[in-house]
Amino acid sequence: MIKRRQKIKQKKDQVFKENISTDYQQHLFKDLETNRSHLLKILGNSSDIIIREFQLGKIHSTKAIIIFMDGLVDKETVQHYLLNPLIDNVRGIELDESLQDAATLYQLIKYSITTAELSEIDHFKKLLEHLLTGDTVLLIDGINQGFAVGSKGASERNVETPTTQQVVRGPKDSFTENLNVNTALIRKRIKDPNLWLESFTYGRKTQTTVTIAYIHGIVNPDIVKEVKSRLEKIDIDSILESGYVEELIQDETYTPFPTIINSERPDAISAGLLEGRVAIIVDGTPFVLLVPSFFIDFFQSSEDYYQRSDIASLIRMLRFFAFFLALLTPSTYIALTTFHQEMIPTTLLVSLAAQREGIPFPALVEALIMEITFELLREAGIRLPNPVGSTISIVGALVLGQAAVDAGIVSATMVIVVSLTAISSFIFPNYNLAISVRMLRFGFMGLAATLGLFGIFIGLLLMALHLTSLRSFGIPYLSPFAPFNSADQQDAIIRLPRWKQTTRPRLMSQRNIKREKMKKPQPPNNS
Amino acid sequence: MKRFRVWLLCSSLCLLLTGCWSAQELTDITLAKALAIDKDGEDYKVTIQVLNPGEIAGDQLSTRATISTYSASGRSIFEAIRKLTKSSPRKVHLSHLQLVVYGEETAKEGIGKTLDFLIRDHEVRTDFTIAIAKGLSGDALISILTPLEKIPADKVRSSVESSEDFWAPTKEVKLDELIESISSNGKEAILTGVYLVGSPDEGTKMENTEYSDSPAQIYLDDIGVFRGDKLQGWLNEKESKGFNYITDNVTNTIGWVDCNDGGTISVEVFQSNTNMQGSVVNGEPSIKIDIKIKANIGDVECSLDLSKPKTIQDVQKKLEQKTINIAEASISAAQEYRSDIFGFGNAIRRSNPKKWEQIKDNWNTIYPDLNVDVQAQVEIKKSGMITQPIYEKIERKTEKEE
Repeated sequence: MIKRRQKIKQKKDQVFKENISTDYQQHLFKDLETNRSHLLKILGNSSDIIIREFQLGKIHSTKAIIIFMDGLVDKETVQHYLLNPLIDNVRGIELDESLQDAATLYQLIKYSITTAELSEIDHFKKLLEHLLTGDTVLLIDGINQGFAVGSKGASERNVETPTTQQVVRGPKDSFTENLNVNTALIRKRIKDPNLWLESFTYGRKTQTTVTIAYIHGIVNPDIVKEVKSRLEKIDIDSILESGYVEELIQDETYTPFPTIINSERPDAISAGLLEGRVAIIVDGTPFVLLVPSFFIDFFQSSEDYYQRSDIASLIRMLRFFAFFLALLTPSTYIALTTFHQEMIPTTLLVSLAAQREGIPFPALVEALIMEITFELLREAGIRLPNPVGSTISIVGALVLGQAAVDAGIVSATMVIVVSLTAISSFIFPNYNLAISVRMLRFGFMGLAATLGLFGIFIGLLLMALHLTSLRSFGIPYLSPFAPFNSADQQDAIIRLPRWKQTTRPRLMSQRNIKREKMKKPQPPNNS
Repeated sequence: MKRFRVWLLCSSLCLLLTGCWSAQELTDITLAKALAIDKDGEDYKVTIQVLNPGEIAGDQLSTRATISTYSASGRSIFEAIRKLTKSSPRKVHLSHLQLVVYGEETAKEGIGKTLDFLIRDHEVRTDFTIAIAKGLSGDALISILTPLEKIPADKVRSSVESSEDFWAPTKEVKLDELIESISSNGKEAILTGVYLVGSPDEGTKMENTEYSDSPAQIYLDDIGVFRGDKLQGWLNEKESKGFNYITDNVTNTIGWVDCNDGGTISVEVFQSNTNMQGSVVNGEPSIKIDIKIKANIGDVECSLDLSKPKTIQDVQKKLEQKTINIAEASISAAQEYRSDIFGFGNAIRRSNPKKWEQIKDNWNTIYPDLNVDVQAQVEIKKSGMITQPIYEKIERKTEKEE
């Protein structure tokens, strides 16, 4: 029974699909009215279609229509560079007998339009593509061809300061939802003819443009090939954010660690390109992907390269320290207080014991209560409108924490542990890793509660094993540590001064290794 | 691959089967800070001093005692400690043990049998201080509440430590050192004594800590001398100091000598190095001890002209003589107890192992008559913030007025 139903449904789907595809494949008709009605039928008479009808020529006038989607086009362009020339110029020329024939008219119109982008269309499929991306379509009666005039001008957000990856020093612009603006932001930084862009369209319904960018000559061509082949496999009906692409092309799905880094900072993406990576820009989102990316990348901020190298190196080390703090503080607390009391200095242990005296829960439960409360607050803080958000964090952090201690539900030390964890997890320049750490933290807490420090070490060992098994576009995720590469240590945990960083990362760009020839700055010789 | 994953998942579930093995919440254990071992007929009586954390570090302190003591007797130390759970509400956790006290009677009967548990048990660390309750049973001593330090065990330990560092006639002995000297051949053990002034009953009340001058107070005494695992007797303060000089255990102390005109001059010894050399001359073992002391003048209570090198040299001579006296007194006291607490036997073994093999069994008879030559060198480095003694000026002024 169910099978039969499925079959019927499948049949229906097929019929629907076929109808649509035949509708799309239809060549433009000669008759203007037929074209118009066919188009309206395909688009379901949508209310945002605007059709403007007008006459070409004075005496032997020909009917023509322009069609565009309201809101997607820049009406100024349509008026000044399409309608004006058509109506004024073509009307100005007395259409004599000779112009009556379609081909001449077609040529005349083609030369009258003064917009920058102009393409000819003959199929409804093509027509729709242009129409739905914001171009204006011109159809003329009696001609089974049309024009698509570039008039994209949907209202867009301006280039603003980055909201998720902020820096103290460094450029303050960020990508927008507009792909062309985004590529321009990169192009503005890298004025090199070898910066090559390639565009593809994915998403059967959304028809989203995905552009890959790389610097020819620096990038490893195998990686470009790999990126393209993975992108080609995408068959999905919608792409609304680069996250869709990320999920579909990553090497390993079952991992808490991100193997593709994203950034909304054009400077970070440009730096990546110059290291020989491939950027994947998806229309409609300010978050650009960068592949391949490694574990170490999530600890690096673009600001590291704008600050003095010693400061940047220290801050990077701090981030590594914070990684372990965020990952292990609650679990270490649990392990030490329930298994290894001898490892805590006596005075501290006494004060811990005094705090725990009235607490009804074991350390694990206590830690879980506080950690989950914190996760709730964090999620709520993101979702709530800005003014309310700050109230919530004050209520949550101060009032709830203090009240929980006063009520004897958790100990004061636990509040310190959770706060330390929280602060440490916010230190990463990239949000993705913070999420992984959040997730793993709970696993470590479970291990600590069952096996103590032994469990934590088992967990760390498994994590290390897992990390070494990961690949990002074929390149080991833990490079340059495993496999160890001494040359690439120049920009890993520490960042050497500029004049010492003369090579690009080995594994990514195998061709163009030398980056620059720069000598250590010397004071002028005064002798 | 899939099978491997399933296998991995199943085997990782085994981790949970351990079921929090050996986990113990802080609220399920009680921390023992001091342990007293006394003889109770054939049995051992073990007393522990446990903490009441809420009274030490809690938010609201009441007037309850900061510590409690629990006792239990058993044929062995281990049995007695486990028996403690009968009286103690929680499992006793021994890893933070700071002090082990033997009653004097027990120490005289021998402490050897009690040591095995202390070093064998994984929970007990070996870094606690060991002492003897002089003239008292161990359990009485660790029941005394002390002012200033809320935890009595900490009080005893920290006064042993600081007195060893700044006063010298005491010595902190830890478990490994004790075991080594009890079990080895060429050296005998010593332990610091601790005694109580005041009534033991008064001391167990919280009131004891409410006086500025507590009615019951714990004092450190001098060094107790062992032969084998049995306490033989006590050195006095001077002899104890001599012991520390000879064993090169002085970090900082005060010494004084008489001036010619009656007052005293005190020096602070800030460095003392001792070289002990054993030798066998004509078949007779002998020991040479060379003590090198560096000191600063700290207190002059007589008239001395310290700007003259001659005066300083005189003081140095006197100090040297006194040091030699102290050391020799200590040696003769120990020889009387027939206990080689200085490790003279070891010194001879190091210099002449063959001879040592011959005499080692008779060491007990040779030792009391052993020839020990003590040399001392004192060097005075600084005379403090002033050169001439204040005493001189006061003296002159009083003379004028008269």
